[in-house]
Amino acid sequence: MTLQLILLIGFGGAVLTYFAGKISSKLREIFAVMISLILVGMIISIYGKYSQEILTLGFLDFRIIFTLNRLSWLFAIIVSSLTFVTIVFSLSYMKGKENLNFYYMMMIFISVSMLGIVFSGTLLLFYIFWEIMSWSTFLLISYNKGKALSAGLKYVIMSIIGSTAMLIAIVSIYIKFGTLDISAISQNINIVSFNYITYILALFFIGFGVKAAVVPLHTWLPDAHSEAPSPFSAILSGILIKMGIYGFILIMYIIIGIKISLVLGTEWIKFHYVLAWLGAISILIPSFIAILQNDAKRLLAWSSIGQIGYIIVGISIGTGLGFIGGTFHLFNHAIFKALLFLCIASVEYQTRTRNLNQLGGLIKKMPITFTGVLIGGFGLIGIPLTNGFVSKWLIYKSLFDSNQYFLLFFSLIGTWAAIFYGYKIIHNIFLGQLPEKYKDIKKEPLSMKIPIIILSFTVLLFGIFPGLILKYINNLGVSIGFQKFNVSIMGISTETGMLNMLNIAFALFIAIILVYLIFKIGKKKVKINQYDNYGAGSYIPVDKYHYTTKYYDPLYRVIRPFLTDYFDKFYSWIANCVKSISDTIRKIYCGDLNYYVIYILGFLATIIVLKIGSKLW
Amino acid sequence: MVMNPVFLIVVPLGLAFFTPIIGLLSKKFTKYVPVIAMLFNLILSISFLPKVIDNPIVVTLAGWKPPFCINLFVGPVGIIFSILISLIGFLVAIYGINYIKTPESQGSSKQEKYHILYLLLLTGATGIVLTGDIFNLFVFFEILCISSYVLVAYNQDKNGIEAATKYLIQGSVGSAFILIGIGFLYGLFGTLNMADIAQKIGDVNSPTLFIAMALFITGFGIESAMFPLNAWLPDAHSSAPSSISAILSGIAIHIGIYAIFRILYTLFGVNSVFTFLAIMGIITLLIGEMSAFKQENIKRVLAYSSMGQIGLIIFALSIGTVNGVSAGLFQIVTHTISKALLFLCVGYMIYYTKSMELSSLKGLGKRMPLTSFLFTIGAFSLIGLPPFIGFPSKLSIIFAGLKTSDPLFLILIILLLCATVIEGAYFFKIIQLLYFKKSEKKDHIKPPFTLFLPAIILAILIIFIGLYPGFISSILNKSAAEFVDKFFYIKTVFGV
Repeated sequence: MTLQLILLIGFGGAVLTYFAGKISSKLREIFAVMISLILVGMIISIYGKYSQEILTLGFLDFRIIFTLNRLSWLFAIIVSSLTFVTIVFSLSYMKGKENLNFYYMMMIFISVSMLGIVFSGTLLLFYIFWEIMSWSTFLLISYNKGKALSAGLKYVIMSIIGSTAMLIAIVSIYIKFGTLDISAISQNINIVSFNYITYILALFFIGFGVKAAVVPLHTWLPDAHSEAPSPFSAILSGILIKMGIYGFILIMYIIIGIKISLVLGTEWIKFHYVLAWLGAISILIPSFIAILQNDAKRLLAWSSIGQIGYIIVGISIGTGLGFIGGTFHLFNHAIFKALLFLCIASVEYQTRTRNLNQLGGLIKKMPITFTGVLIGGFGLIGIPLTNGFVSKWLIYKSLFDSNQYFLLFFSLIGTWAAIFYGYKIIHNIFLGQLPEKYKDIKKEPLSMKIPIIILSFTVLLFGIFPGLILKYINNLGVSIGFQKFNVSIMGISTETGMLNMLNIAFALFIAIILVYLIFKIGKKKVKINQYDNYGAGSYIPVDKYHYTTKYYDPLYRVIRPFLTDYFDKFYSWIANCVKSISDTIRKIYCGDLNYYVIYILGFLATIIVLKIGSKLW
Repeated sequence: MVMNPVFLIVVPLGLAFFTPIIGLLSKKFTKYVPVIAMLFNLILSISFLPKVIDNPIVVTLAGWKPPFCINLFVGPVGIIFSILISLIGFLVAIYGINYIKTPESQGSSKQEKYHILYLLLLTGATGIVLTGDIFNLFVFFEILCISSYVLVAYNQDKNGIEAATKYLIQGSVGSAFILIGIGFLYGLFGTLNMADIAQKIGDVNSPTLFIAMALFITGFGIESAMFPLNAWLPDAHSSAPSSISAILSGIAIHIGIYAIFRILYTLFGVNSVFTFLAIMGIITLLIGEMSAFKQENIKRVLAYSSMGQIGLIIFALSIGTVNGVSAGLFQIVTHTISKALLFLCVGYMIYYTKSMELSSLKGLGKRMPLTSFLFTIGAFSLIGLPPFIGFPSKLSIIFAGLKTSDPLFLILIILLLCATVIEGAYFFKIIQLLYFKKSEKKDHIKPPFTLFLPAIILAILIIFIGLYPGFISSILNKSAAEFVDKFFYIKTVFGV
């Protein structure tokens, strides 16, 4: 009953928020914050109560089953908390824009549909909520008008193509198994052949791959995430793409089960290694494309594709440590990517631009945002004391343990690229010279500061005490069938070595104290003008030395030729082919009545000829 | 007096002929005659539904017994169609109260003719689904067709007249073919009663039988808009007044499909022509959706979309199993309700922006918010998105297709899903135009309540049946079982 109650409150709350907005905008904002908070609270309250709720629907003998298991709860808490944080952020970011009723309603509506996805216990219910999530995110991506329209259209068409592949798989499963209940299918999985399972997995891969933006199905993501309204971009990057990963884990480990998933494939190529290699390509190329971007949100969008690659590598490598690392990275990425997007949104709110070539020097003006970007960026790169470090370490270790040295190498190169683009964001926005036009911008409003502070704190919290979450993920891994690890509040230990954040934190602390002491002992500081430093004492015209423009130009010139998005071009080419074929086809209806009557007679003749022809054979 | 199903046909027919007399008494009242007639039909049909599901009623006329009389066979499929016809007829008649206006100079006699023809069209449709005699089928079919030819030209503009003339010529070719086919059957069997022919058809094995079937498929196929017989459809549906477009797209073409498949299932039985029809259905679907993709005129988009949906329905009904027929019936319900909703909304959008171009729809989401919202619901349900009615119906079709385990059907289903993607593409583009593009004008338009009453009822039906498809799918399953079962039909009619 509780799960249905949550969904009902969510959907009802979304509609109520829309109508509350017709009465007054304050009422709508209160409603939005309250409903999201209620959802978070309800999900926290059902922690540990793993259960199933079954209803019957008289249609084609389908049942409706809502389940809560460990995997669902993890995703549910991420979805609801990020929604709450983003709605609080939107209170000041979206002030003054139009159609706000629709915006707040859709934010809640989308998060409830995602909750519906993770609470589904049958594949049909899963598909229904999946489609609801698809069209509602389409509507909200198109919110900004202009370029967002084509971005939204590209997203929804690719999403529908993925969904139709999934639909064929689901109907086929129904015909083979006679039921769509996830628990029933997973118990009876042995009755079908491996070929059939591979075929189903391939179809589901298309569906989930589009949503999770795995190369080669990732081309919608840069446009959609950069053109969506910024707080919603945080949700898109933070949770929407994770829904694809939820689907992967659901199919590969819960339905098909780890015993079969890990042996699928031929002698030379195992299916889950193919997936891991696709993940590695997802790490490698998008991370470098991210370096070349000048639009802050596009950079973060390409970086999301890269990080999803890490998650896929971790999950599909097939070892327990990899699974824990991948799932923990999923959790962490949601937090620090949302943090980064919200910080960029706050910069955009004050300066009205996202162009990295034009920003700079905002560190004194927006210190909290700077701290947010710093911590988020460190999390992205994987610097110790942040949660990104722990999850990346786990993934590297699992790759090392399973002797996948090439995948390890690609992951490390990905981190190298992450350092480049992470630093680009930090430097281009906050360090360097402050352009004239931004001399008078104000500090961020409170409702923007709070989410940034909360999320930064979370990044550091789970970086120093990873055991808090690792324990839960460990149990999740065990429930799926992976081995159990020793998890303490500060670290995790495996056969080949252990990670203890206490030691690392301690070491870093000592290092910081040492550096501080060295500074203190050294000579006194002398304050000089920033431009003296650049011009070595001689006069330089201030505006000509904007250090953030064309930041990585030499690197850009080297790698640019290799990094066009061939897949995007390919898909656009297919779309244009379909358009021109459609244009040719509509000319059948030429308007000339004589032709029409000939069509009729031709049809009659064809039937008769076909019949006589088949008789003569 | 016991309620006789024959009233379903007689009452609208009689009221249609009485309308001029009513018009002499009170000019205003003629608008309400179709409303009353269709409301009566609706209530009567719904009251028949529970009885008819298990025991179809056979109504004999003129005191003779079958096979010598003209009889009505009121089976579950017939009653479901009758409910759909009367429901949509009722709602569009309400819509027509305000939508059909003539300038004072021409007097209200033109309006009167609209209502008369409207009632005749619906009578013809109801007659087709309820009859058990093949020449009676032809007579009602002609009533349906002729009324629709004239109604397409109602606006008396160049497009309308041209479209109506082309429709007339193609329709007449079709009617001629049907008549020849009936002639062949009569020559072979000496009877016009469908049950009688069904009984005797197994004894005869002559090529004329196949020619008769081909003639029927072609003749009724023209009305049902199968490719390549549907060239009249884009012009007719886009040039007619929007209420008539709703009726044509929602009822007339489905009646054509009913006629084909009643003849095929009941008279001829399932055979190899079904595979041909399935392929034709998917070709119609693909051509319809692809042609809709590049249109600039909103009513042409909807007309081509109707063409595509008909292809889908033909495919579903040609699968040949009870699942397939049930899925096809469900898709007929979906298409009728959704397409009627779309045309009703579009009618007023065109009326207020005075243009049928897609670009004139820009920004209507702000100016006509409720209308645009209802349009969005209709569009989403046609694409097949949950939680609207289009989703369970498309799901049933895919399920029925894949259950046959025929690799040909797997390929056809994949093509079906490709067409769904294309359908999604143009509908999403239109929805973006409505809501997310700016328009120059900023005024707020309020269409009359005669738009909202029917449209909201249709939207509620879409969402309600979408959430609880079991509500009608059990009824449709039973009807499908009856439809496919030839021997049950013969048994019921002859009372043996």
